[in-house]
Amino acid sequence: MTPAPLDLHDIQGLVARGYGHLSAASFLLLTIEDAAAGRRWLSDVSGAVTSAEARRPNRALNVAFTSKGLERLGLERRTLELFSNEFVTGMTTPHRTRILGDLEENAPARWEWGGEIGPSVDAVLLLYALVDRELSLFEAEQTAALPQGVSVARRLGTSDLDGVEPFGFRDGVSQPFVEGLSKTGPPESTVRAGEFLLGYENEYGLYTDRPLLDPSTDPAGVLPRDAAGSDRADLGRNGSYLVLRQLRQNVGRFWQFVDVATRRADGSSDLAARVRLAAKMVGRWPSGAPLTLAPDADDPALAEANDFAYHEHDRQGARCPIGSHIRRSNPRDSLDPRPGSARSFEINRRHRLLRRGREYGPPLSIEQALAGDDSADRGLHFICLNANIQRQFEFVNHTWLNNPKFADLYDDADPLVAPSAPYGGTFTMPTEGVRERVTNVPRFVSVRGGAYFLLPGLAALRYLAALR
Amino acid sequence: MPYQSALTIVAPVVPGAVDDLKALLATMGDGVANGSVLDFDALSDVHFARLIVVDEDRDSAGEPLPASLILLSDFDVSVETHLAELVDTAGTGIDRLFGHCEGYPTGEPTRQERLEYLTGRRVKEAARYVNTTGRAARQIRQEAELRDAIEDSLDRSPHDGADPAAVRRSVRKLVGQELAWAREPAERPGLLARVRELAHLVAIPLLLLPLLPLALLAAPIYAFILRKHERRDQAPHEKPGEELVQELARLEDHVVQNPFTALGHIKPSRFRRLSLIVILFLLNYATRHFFNRGNLAGVKTIHFARWVFIDDRRRMFFASNYDGSLESYMDDFIDKVAWGLNLVFSNGVGYPKTRWLVFGGAKDELALKDYLRLHQVPTGVWYSAYGRLTAVNVKQNERIRAGLQGNLSPKKERAWVQSL
Repeated sequence: MTPAPLDLHDIQGLVARGYGHLSAASFLLLTIEDAAAGRRWLSDVSGAVTSAEARRPNRALNVAFTSKGLERLGLERRTLELFSNEFVTGMTTPHRTRILGDLEENAPARWEWGGEIGPSVDAVLLLYALVDRELSLFEAEQTAALPQGVSVARRLGTSDLDGVEPFGFRDGVSQPFVEGLSKTGPPESTVRAGEFLLGYENEYGLYTDRPLLDPSTDPAGVLPRDAAGSDRADLGRNGSYLVLRQLRQNVGRFWQFVDVATRRADGSSDLAARVRLAAKMVGRWPSGAPLTLAPDADDPALAEANDFAYHEHDRQGARCPIGSHIRRSNPRDSLDPRPGSARSFEINRRHRLLRRGREYGPPLSIEQALAGDDSADRGLHFICLNANIQRQFEFVNHTWLNNPKFADLYDDADPLVAPSAPYGGTFTMPTEGVRERVTNVPRFVSVRGGAYFLLPGLAALRYLAALR
Repeated sequence: MPYQSALTIVAPVVPGAVDDLKALLATMGDGVANGSVLDFDALSDVHFARLIVVDEDRDSAGEPLPASLILLSDFDVSVETHLAELVDTAGTGIDRLFGHCEGYPTGEPTRQERLEYLTGRRVKEAARYVNTTGRAARQIRQEAELRDAIEDSLDRSPHDGADPAAVRRSVRKLVGQELAWAREPAERPGLLARVRELAHLVAIPLLLLPLLPLALLAAPIYAFILRKHERRDQAPHEKPGEELVQELARLEDHVVQNPFTALGHIKPSRFRRLSLIVILFLLNYATRHFFNRGNLAGVKTIHFARWVFIDDRRRMFFASNYDGSLESYMDDFIDKVAWGLNLVFSNGVGYPKTRWLVFGGAKDELALKDYLRLHQVPTGVWYSAYGRLTAVNVKQNERIRAGLQGNLSPKKERAWVQSL
């Protein structure tokens, strides 16, 4: 059965691509104080939104709203409640802070934005340009165009670290392929469009919850109609949920920890052992080469290698530990039922994320990190797109990353990104004999802000701009 | 030692006392029991326990169904011993709780009165699931200690490159000094109990065999009626409100395990009620004799579960203790045993539409998840004797102990060392 073609002209460009060629980017968090002003601004900006049809644009602009933002634009509460519960109630409910590990120093009460303090985060304007100078101009134009009643609550700047995340590892190698987009990949990592876009069939062959409106609320016929065949207007179609989290990376603490953990008996640093432990925690070497394919040493020739599975050659994790970051954020074929089979991949495809994040802050070399020069704020503005926040983003965080019991482990939460309390400060590396392990792994990543957004389709943006 | 037993007490609450009772339960814990009023830790060999309040309701004919206080526990002693301990160690707690219920003796009840009251409200489970039959709570806790001790010793003196036989020798030496009990196999249920299980295993098919021709003859008629019901039954997809979801979620994910309790009306027809009785009878037979080694048809995250009829079989509740989040639990069922869920719960009002009893239904992911949330009962008072262990951890600890005993082939010895 051929899948329904995607309405590329109605989908925001960020779904189709991360704009890798646009090395400069900034994300403006906006506060909408006045509904009419917000709609006026949206009406102007919606004409400038980059769609998925645009290939290699010189600039790109995308826009997304929190549920509070939609309400502030004037969307009725009962319409808003047709969106998913996670989106409507937001990232900071007591239960969600528990499953996302946003406790203690990560608690929303301490966030710089999106938490309990600071201005309301109603929308995010994502701006991309070829170089920094271009971006400054673009940003100046966009902020000048904000009417009274819409203001920038916070600017999230980004830096181009050339595809390497702040700890020093190549990032963004593994992405799912979205069925219906031009870029195609192997079937095991090609995911139905409905996993990322509302209004399309998902991996279950079903439609994820979406707001279907009485056609009388859209007399001008701006919105697409329900793909399932009813005459209702679909406010969600071609939209996606965008998760944004500012993750501060404590690069100094990371390299100091692996350095101390791998010192020789005489107290001197063991460079090879240090990089090996760090690579074991990540699951890839600094170049990006996966440990499953390059178990003993880094191999830059495999930097982009992503065509591998775990079950056949690395079932016990003697190469890539079960608890390593990449193995638990994308277990490929290693989970029940029947690891190593197409069934295992099928389950895995129900928990994939399209990652669109960007690094921020100045780079730091390993030497600088070890020297303790780590005062600057640096990390990742994590962005992912998904259609079911609970089954995708939250599941991956809670059941795979933060879960000390992932894949039959005991006390091993993600060594790189999970909060270490109350369980999970252990990292186990299986070998052919007795396992190696390190204990009391501290927290290297802290959450500085976050929110759930809706990245609406272009028609939905026009509909929202025309609300009365 | 007998097999694990279960207790289910269902006591109707005095009209007007429900709010008071709920307020009392709220002081006893917020997701995990805090030991006040009723301290399950003080009882012998309890695995799990919970207290819930089921709200009053009306059946399909408009007849009132009372609110009930329900006490559930899983333990290793006999039901009689467990009940006696309950009244002996927690008599005043029992008074405070069941004092809200119909017919509870007033004033200062005697031990005997308490015992008679509880015994009189005991309900037999229609079906039960035990992760691994015959594995005691004490054994589970001991084996967790054993693993911790072994891991600590391996951390203290790494065995890089040592041959497996040498590693195992040194672990056995450690155990021999500090944890001598681990050199012996765990205690198993006695011969009498095992013979009784075997007798049950054989007797049921023998008794049912004569009915087989009749069942075969009736099958097409059953199928015809079933399809008629399935086409007619209403299955509106309702979404739970955000407040309800938050109220339920507030109690979840405090330890690595969670309780799940759900209650629903059985579809009001003799056909559905009879179907469910037969299905649960067969299910209980299957879990008792076949799904009793850590795997419920592909799901390995459940410690204990039960299915219980209440209100003269007009309502049924399901209660389980599982690992991970509710989201992962539901995904597990949808992905692995949707058919099993359908078989039982499609006899409940409002369940997503099934075909031929096993198809469809739970395969409608969001319809099922919303249905379960809407039928969930908050489990405010929940006790777990080993909240930091998953069922898989428990099983692995058991294997580690087993590997200490006797002689192993070099291959098995290597696998055992690798599994530490």
